[in-house]
Amino acid sequence: MGFSRGSIRAFATGSFTTLSRSLDGFVDLVRFMGKSDLAGLIGLVIVIAMGLIAATISLWPLPNPNSMDYPMNQPPSLDHLFGTDRYGRDVLSRALWGARVSLSVGVAAAFSAALLGTILGVVAGVYGGRVDAALSRVIEVFLMMPTFFLALLIAAVTRPSIYNLILVVAVTSWPTVARVVRGQVLSLKERQYVEASRALGASDRFIMVKHILPQVVPLTLSYTVLLVSNAMLLEAGLSYLGLGDPNYPSWGRMIYEGQQLIFTAWWVSVFPGAFLTLTVLGWNLLGDSLSRYLNPRRRTL
Amino acid sequence: MRKYVTDRVLSSFFVLISVLVINFIIINLAPGNPATIMGSETGLISQDYIQYLTQKWGLDRPVYERLAVYLWNVFHGDLGISYRYVEPVSQLILERIPLTLAITVPSIVLGFLVGTLLATLACRKPGGGLDVGLTTLAMGSYSAPIFWVAILLINVFSVRLKLLPPTGIVSPQLIGSNGFDYYLDMAKHAILPIVTLTLGTFPPYYRLTKSVILEQLSEDYVVTLKAIGLPGFRVLYKHVLRNALLPGITLFGIQMGFAFAGAALVENVFAWPGIGRLMLDAIMARDYNLLMGIFLFVTVAVVVANIVVDLVYGYLDPRIRRG
Repeated sequence: MGFSRGSIRAFATGSFTTLSRSLDGFVDLVRFMGKSDLAGLIGLVIVIAMGLIAATISLWPLPNPNSMDYPMNQPPSLDHLFGTDRYGRDVLSRALWGARVSLSVGVAAAFSAALLGTILGVVAGVYGGRVDAALSRVIEVFLMMPTFFLALLIAAVTRPSIYNLILVVAVTSWPTVARVVRGQVLSLKERQYVEASRALGASDRFIMVKHILPQVVPLTLSYTVLLVSNAMLLEAGLSYLGLGDPNYPSWGRMIYEGQQLIFTAWWVSVFPGAFLTLTVLGWNLLGDSLSRYLNPRRRTL
Repeated sequence: MRKYVTDRVLSSFFVLISVLVINFIIINLAPGNPATIMGSETGLISQDYIQYLTQKWGLDRPVYERLAVYLWNVFHGDLGISYRYVEPVSQLILERIPLTLAITVPSIVLGFLVGTLLATLACRKPGGGLDVGLTTLAMGSYSAPIFWVAILLINVFSVRLKLLPPTGIVSPQLIGSNGFDYYLDMAKHAILPIVTLTLGTFPPYYRLTKSVILEQLSEDYVVTLKAIGLPGFRVLYKHVLRNALLPGITLFGIQMGFAFAGAALVENVFAWPGIGRLMLDAIMARDYNLLMGIFLFVTVAVVVANIVVDLVYGYLDPRIRRG
């Protein structure tokens, strides 16, 4: 079958217009939020702020998150706004650095999961028949498996590292996207413009790239955003249980360290957990707002 | 109805077989085998003994043969021996499961009740102050890592207010007795874990029930009832809520998995010796048989919960089983 030159050109121009359209889309989204979706706007602000912190944290005038130079278990003070932990590390600095691991694992895992889920969902939907039956079975199996325990099992048998964390989280979160995309493709396939295109001799692959994907991608976007918050919570849970990457300050691990000091130093667990909750909340609000924006029927709810 | 039932049961059976195989593959991808892990961790076991264990456990056989043996054993209720506790895995799980159920089942039920109740309250005046407050609470609770919530609750109710015991299942001085005081003390210890888990289980019900109620409010029958002159709260509680409860049933299966996952984390904070703690011990000790056993057990629980949910839903809503 192979890509013909025509289909590549169609895809290239298609993606270019998608890009400029998505920029317009973003402006429109912000306008929609400002007008009727305050929660979404708050989410967007949190997500952008945390993203900026994670990206620029190495430039901030803060103590090294791993240096143990300070007095141990100091309560919050002007020197250490969030206090210090039992190794004499600055909790504020560690809590801010935690954004980097959490967000990179969350975003990378969610987008890989969304990519995998979209590809499998589109393939199942477009080809139908036996391919669809087989893929649907696989999706069903993964949907029914208890995600957290599967992640624990995989994390337990692999070496703890950032990349394995991303892999674990991605492997356990793609099926929801695949199911949604498959359903969407099945309904798009019945539309008349797709039928017309097929009647004109378009191949499966051309229809997939030109007609189906551009419709499906915006829809997966809101799911992907919601997956980010799931992925961040999953990463935190694994790190909390000691299955994270020991080389980076992670929120889950900080909460675990604070748990040991529950009677003496509340600040060690409370602040990292508050940052994590705030960030997850931001992605959740953004995701909900996106799905309202993309599905005008629900905007009234 | 019969076709619907056989369909559901067959596909659940397929899911279980797949889970067994995936389980087995993941464990076999792990570096080392149980015999060498035991040997290297203790450092006390001789090479001869490792060889003996390898042969005894059949670890020198080809993979497909071991998979067949594993499946055969599982179907006979034999989940193998825990390498660490040197006890049958099934026995270890059965010993611990009542404690996990003691905190998960109440939290699933409470989550349903609390979520539905709060959603109904919020829908009395959509967009009002109460609605915004409750939605914020549900959203925040949904976004917070459950083990952190557990720590916060201990901090407030045990460390500061000294109202409830922080960890464990029973106070040290009562161990060994089994009168009324003993069970009262145990119940007190269970309050914080159950509250923590409920904070995780109620938001999905809140969201779902709320959206269903809002959808129902614009249905013809509601408009009619209001036009007849029935007071708003009567329509909401007597007619709308009844229809809104039905979709909530579908969440039970998912909530089961969620509650078990939450329990695994929360048990760790509260030093609550259920299967979550057991699993964590198994991870730390690389006790693969035990890990596989617990994973399998949780999956079976979730799959069975899903079958029950599907059947109950099919029974209650004829549209499902015909569609």
